[in-house]
Amino acid sequence: MFWKRTIPIAIVATVGFLTLFGWFVDEPHIKNFVEDDATQWYDILASFAIFLGALNLLKMQSQKILKKQTGWQYSIFAVGGFIFAIIAGFVIKGNDAIQWGAHVTGKGTLFKWMFEFMFTPLSATMFALLAFFVASASYRAFRIRNFEATLLLISGIIIMLGRVPIGIKISAWFVLYLTILGIGVVVNNAFKNKQITLGFVVGGLLLTTIAGFWMGWPVDQPALFYLPILQDWIYNIPNVAGGRAIMMGIGLGIFATSMRYILGIEKSYIGE
Amino acid sequence: MNGILNFISRIGQLDRRWIFLIIALVVLIPLFFPLGLPIRATESTRLVWETVENLEPESKVLLSLEYGPSTKPELHPMVFALVRHLLKNDHKIYMTCLWPDGQFMAEDLIEKVIELEFPDKSYGEDYVLLGFRPGGEAVIKGIVSNIRKLYTVDARNLSVDEIPMMEAVNQFKDFDFLFSASAGFPGTVEWVQYASDPTGVPMSTGTTSIQVNEVMPYVQGGQVKGILAGMPGAAEYEALIGVPGIGTSGMDAQSIAHVVIVLFIIFGNVAYFVERKKAKKY
Repeated sequence: MFWKRTIPIAIVATVGFLTLFGWFVDEPHIKNFVEDDATQWYDILASFAIFLGALNLLKMQSQKILKKQTGWQYSIFAVGGFIFAIIAGFVIKGNDAIQWGAHVTGKGTLFKWMFEFMFTPLSATMFALLAFFVASASYRAFRIRNFEATLLLISGIIIMLGRVPIGIKISAWFVLYLTILGIGVVVNNAFKNKQITLGFVVGGLLLTTIAGFWMGWPVDQPALFYLPILQDWIYNIPNVAGGRAIMMGIGLGIFATSMRYILGIEKSYIGE
Repeated sequence: MNGILNFISRIGQLDRRWIFLIIALVVLIPLFFPLGLPIRATESTRLVWETVENLEPESKVLLSLEYGPSTKPELHPMVFALVRHLLKNDHKIYMTCLWPDGQFMAEDLIEKVIELEFPDKSYGEDYVLLGFRPGGEAVIKGIVSNIRKLYTVDARNLSVDEIPMMEAVNQFKDFDFLFSASAGFPGTVEWVQYASDPTGVPMSTGTTSIQVNEVMPYVQGGQVKGILAGMPGAAEYEALIGVPGIGTSGMDAQSIAHVVIVLFIIFGNVAYFVERKKAKKY
């Protein structure tokens, strides 16, 4: 218990305290430890963690194959790919002109071939499929069910069109006409009176048309209804405000969790 | 009228395979027949360009590549454009990778842009690939405190001490500018927190579109000098340096795909309201 529990907690608490106070105390040894030695240790540990992770993957996938658990056929590819990568990395270089180490990205080597012709197409395919799923999902799930969903939908459409070059071509006047029609729907729902709705929509469209003729229909005026400017505003104001709030929340969460580790309250890393 | 409503309802039940086919076509067709849509640089892209443009000649620029093949279409074009800009202005480029895939991306960059378009630039004197090291944020901290402890050899197994452009480069403060091309963790946010902000070395970034939300507060706070946001950001940077590349050619396809997705959303909602009206009626 002492070696498995007390010692790890003591190491975490000591290193945690040193790292934390290293930022506040102007002591060269502690500073050197925090900024140099501790990070070197971390690099070494991270390298071993990769090794452990690889062994764990091999063990889990092999067990799945041996016990013929659900989807064991896929595990054959996982283990096969793993062994192939080991061979390409440590056994067969494929190009004698290149040194070991540099062979990982060197031209004409087996490892480079594996990356270019196996990993890259598979990885790119997985990501490219997103476009199809996004289109299908937005068609089925993006519905005007309530106020929040409508707000999200309108912002989404403005960002999608305003971010790409075609958004530059969409006239602010067209967006203004659409806005008047949209507000017309709101007016109709609020007053439930066809005459008021008709008056609002016809009046709005007429005023917009007069203003358009008067201003000469510039594509980017009025700027408030020009998609690239609207998307810039969404990106820079509401989006950043939300982003900041989330970041502050995460920061406080990290601080609380770190303190739990340093004080020995959080013990999940030793399996408790 | 009923016929029209039934037709709209049927559209609402459209098989997803038709949607996949339409998306495939609208992405493919503009790639073969470009529309040449105009590109307008946003403020954040212009800020990156201005920061690079205002660097002193022969500035030492650390370029960190944190992405792989999956996000290559978004990030590779912007890195190509940035490197063209840096080398045109005679800056020195030091490449590091926080992701293992990043090293392959860097090799591709060297082969397709530096060696092909700038044959007068030589490895070790104008650009160097230091390569990947595991450890995430610890690697950034290592670069900040002592880069020579972390990198004793470069990606080609050459001793760092024998690389001419590594002379007088010992820590992060020795660089004049950092550009992080990032697709996730560890990436831009970690570079801000552990390197750029504590040392005061200016940095800019290029990220995938989805990551912009996360990085934008740092841009507004002035900690990051501009951001290239996804493929549109790359296309905008290409327009600013006057060299159209993969980013520009991809924008037509992305434009049309976005319009089609918006149309799908509108059709889907019309069908939804028609269905709801029908349900209320019966």
